[in-house]
Amino acid sequence: MSGFLTTPPLPISVAPEALLLLAIAAPLALALAMLAPGLRRLVPRLLILAPLPALVAAVAVPRGMSVLVAPYPFRFTLALDGSGALLLGGAALLWMAAGAYACAYMRKDPARGAFATWWALTMAGSFAVFLVADVASFYLAYALVSFSAFGLVTHDDTPEARRAGNLYLALTVLGEAFLIAAFVMLASGTSEANPLIRDAVAALPTSPFRSAIVLLLLAGFTLKMGLFPLHVWMPLAHAVAPVPGSAALSGVVVKAGVIGLLRFLPDGVALPGWGEALTAVGIFTAFYGVALGVTQTHPKRALAYSTVSQMGVVGAVIGAALASGLPGAFPIAAFYAVNHMLLKGAMFLVAGLAMASAPARARQAALIAGVLGLSLAGLPFTGGALAKYAIKIVVPDGIAGFLLTLSAVGSALLMARYAVLVTASGKERQTPPGGILLPALALAALALAVPFALFAPVTGLPLAAAFSGDALAKGVWPVALGLALAGLLAWRRWPLPEVPAGDILHAMGPLAALWRHTLDLAVAADARLRRWPVAATALIALAALLAVVAR
Amino acid sequence: MSALLVLALTVPLLGLVPLLLAGPRVGERAALAVLAIGAGLCVAVGVAVALSGRALQYFVAGLAPPLGIGLRADGFSAAMMGMSALVLALTAFYAMRAPGAGAPRMPPAFFMLLLALASALNLAFLAQDLFTLYVALELLTFAAVPLVCLDGKPGQLRAAMTYLMFALFGSVLYLLGVVLVYGQFGTLDFARLSAALALAPPGWSFGAALALMSAGLMAKAALFPLHLWLPPAHAGAPPAASAVLSAVVIKAPLFLLVRLWADLAPVPMAQAAAPVLAICGAGAILVCGVVALAQVRLKLLIAYSTAAQIGYLGLMFPLAAGADAYWSALAWTGGTLHLVSHAFSKAAMFMAAGLIAEVFGHDRLAGLKGAARVAPLSIAAFGIGGLSLLGLPPSGGFTAKVMLLTSALQQGAWWIGVVVLAGGLLAGGYVLRLLVLALQRPEDGTLPAARECGWRAGIALALAFGAVALGFLPLAPLGFLSIGRPIAWEGLAP
Repeated sequence: MSGFLTTPPLPISVAPEALLLLAIAAPLALALAMLAPGLRRLVPRLLILAPLPALVAAVAVPRGMSVLVAPYPFRFTLALDGSGALLLGGAALLWMAAGAYACAYMRKDPARGAFATWWALTMAGSFAVFLVADVASFYLAYALVSFSAFGLVTHDDTPEARRAGNLYLALTVLGEAFLIAAFVMLASGTSEANPLIRDAVAALPTSPFRSAIVLLLLAGFTLKMGLFPLHVWMPLAHAVAPVPGSAALSGVVVKAGVIGLLRFLPDGVALPGWGEALTAVGIFTAFYGVALGVTQTHPKRALAYSTVSQMGVVGAVIGAALASGLPGAFPIAAFYAVNHMLLKGAMFLVAGLAMASAPARARQAALIAGVLGLSLAGLPFTGGALAKYAIKIVVPDGIAGFLLTLSAVGSALLMARYAVLVTASGKERQTPPGGILLPALALAALALAVPFALFAPVTGLPLAAAFSGDALAKGVWPVALGLALAGLLAWRRWPLPEVPAGDILHAMGPLAALWRHTLDLAVAADARLRRWPVAATALIALAALLAVVAR
Repeated sequence: MSALLVLALTVPLLGLVPLLLAGPRVGERAALAVLAIGAGLCVAVGVAVALSGRALQYFVAGLAPPLGIGLRADGFSAAMMGMSALVLALTAFYAMRAPGAGAPRMPPAFFMLLLALASALNLAFLAQDLFTLYVALELLTFAAVPLVCLDGKPGQLRAAMTYLMFALFGSVLYLLGVVLVYGQFGTLDFARLSAALALAPPGWSFGAALALMSAGLMAKAALFPLHLWLPPAHAGAPPAASAVLSAVVIKAPLFLLVRLWADLAPVPMAQAAAPVLAICGAGAILVCGVVALAQVRLKLLIAYSTAAQIGYLGLMFPLAAGADAYWSALAWTGGTLHLVSHAFSKAAMFMAAGLIAEVFGHDRLAGLKGAARVAPLSIAAFGIGGLSLLGLPPSGGFTAKVMLLTSALQQGAWWIGVVVLAGGLLAGGYVLRLLVLALQRPEDGTLPAARECGWRAGIALALAFGAVALGFLPLAPLGFLSIGRPIAWEGLAP
């Protein structure tokens, strides 16, 4: 572990402490500027610049730096570690490119001001989750990024968007309840009411509530990551959000769940049982996402299922690290997540470009889409191959390792499907809004290049290691097999029944009926209790009961 | 210093004079000024208690109990006084005759009732004997019931009648309890009672007395399952009246419930009774929370949310009666903080609902799409106040919830923790329901031409931020609240 994770590559003249704070404050200031009518017109243009302090902070602030922003009783602390810096830097790049894209894409939208506000708030929350170091501030930051993203999901205000937004909101509130319970139990292991996350996690392995805490943490954070069976919001939300919003959701917002797991689970300490369980769920999700993704007919929904699948891989990596207790594995999971972050962001922007273009231009976009997809599947000599190589360090050969390699076959298949859908998504006589091409291309280029810069510092291995003959052979066959499968599917024209987005949600009809029944029951009970004779009897009975027990 | 206590009781009544003698315009302003002075006095009481670290006490006419009437402000009383006086003053400001033509006019009677409430509430927070407290409760009821039916609509009259009858029912039970206590101890003074209770373990009749008084107080506070009067009364009243009813009026009986069980009752007795109160609290949170989700009118939704939220105080009792001093103090702080922050957020929400209803001309939830465009400040006030109910940081509701959860966890009361969490989920449902609708565009694309009244929305927003500000308290037992406990007259000859 050296380089990026431990020492700053650049000397900086700004106070690094201020930079950490500014990373969060800049987008927040932008959101507040929406309150001033004079500044309102400027805000959408400034969306590109707001992530700049975060980017500089990720590159230049020394790892391990921590700032106590507000002392007791708040204990608002910011800190930058290896995993946080990786995700912060990646997120800043994505927010910049997607911000430029959004600025052009939404130019004619009358509600672009509202979109910019949600955008800035989500951005501030996403930077904050990567930076805060105390438990209460993490909860606040997590709530900020989660609830603000609702505005991105429902921006178009169509019936589908409303439905997706409601589901997203309901699950977010549920996730918050899981997390607050876990955090209260975690904090009870320390002497502080609001401990540093590090201290709270150090007390986790010996906590009497260990199983409950880990279960609640996994439920809360995998919900955000979209691991089965809590993935149901993702395909719905990603499909209905405006294109740059989907890029931010799929790229950054789901990573709030990843950083949550990385921050709140102990790095280098084995949690037997839980690690294996998370690996199993992750691997199942990786295949499940692919299986449902290939049946989709809309490129954005296919991408959403691909995110589900890829987050399954991240979950499996974290699970493997927990199972073995291998120290230093978490930054590798973060590296894989950053690779996915940039690629998926670029894929959404390219899909949006194609959807707004004429068929000829859409076919050109599909070419870029294909390259990005091959990288995600891990074709040798791409950035994605480096990420796949890195996770092999954590997940050694064995059943889990083999299944993860096999999931790359699925990724290649799904990415081929995505490229085909992008090809077909152009429509005659339409031209894309000016200014969306450049950000999409820039993000695509970054997505392909950035892993090369990060690989050596994160893994501590030379780049050449990933290009050895053995590694190449292991990288090629899954992609080749996946593409062959895709070709077979296309050639035989097997009709795949399209699974409606939200899949198992549609099997939850009985649950909805149960809820309606509960609602009716409560209303009926309330009506009965509020009748005079009942209430008067209850009053007397209550007095008698209290008198009996308080004897 | 201790004269502050008498002033806090009497100054609000002075405001009645200009209201009765001068015209409504002058009277309203005088009432507002007097309530503002009253708020200043209550804050001064709090400062005096905090600075001296001791309870303030005052004997009316210089006579100590049992002959005279004693007033006493400890940390808990001072916190409640400060909260209620602030909410009352801001409500009076909200109800002032608006310059706009569309705004409804509150009659002078409203301000008279507000002044009477201010005095009665302070008496309830300060009085130290069970009979004076009875008087305070009656004053409170008789000031609150007319607030429900200020417009004189048939529905309001029916709701007010239910409220009055049920509250009187509660009064009778309370008074019965008082009689039992007097028969047994020959005194009604808190300090003397606790001294007597410390000497000999009380018999069943004291338990019965406490039970009767508690049932009476629960009826007046509308704690589940005795909430029959609350939804129609709070939802039917004019918004300014709903705000005080939901935010402060029901807090006085709850305050006394805490006084009885946490300060007066011997610990074993309190521990035995606590589960009953907690079950009522859990029922409130779960049943009223679910019913709130089924409402189709905004004000009814908020009223049911009040009925649900007071359940958290019920959940506090087993935790506060626990054996461990630190965790019980934490629960006690959490419960009190919840009372105070709920007052701020609920006042903000009812005021916001009133402004929204003014713009739309109704408060049917389904018809409120697009409210964020025509009433942005009101929606912000509703949302920010609602964040506290949801338990999102930073807010008093969040801090209170974490305190209750921590205390429940440490004392092994898992089921209380689960109810607290479930209550947060339900609150999420009923708070976010309006916010989601407000952000949507109406289907037919038409929005009302009217706009919200900005300065009154500002008042609602200020109250909502009051609930947020409470979130900056440390997550530890608050020393201020334990000033002056246990109850005793300091410097009183034996």
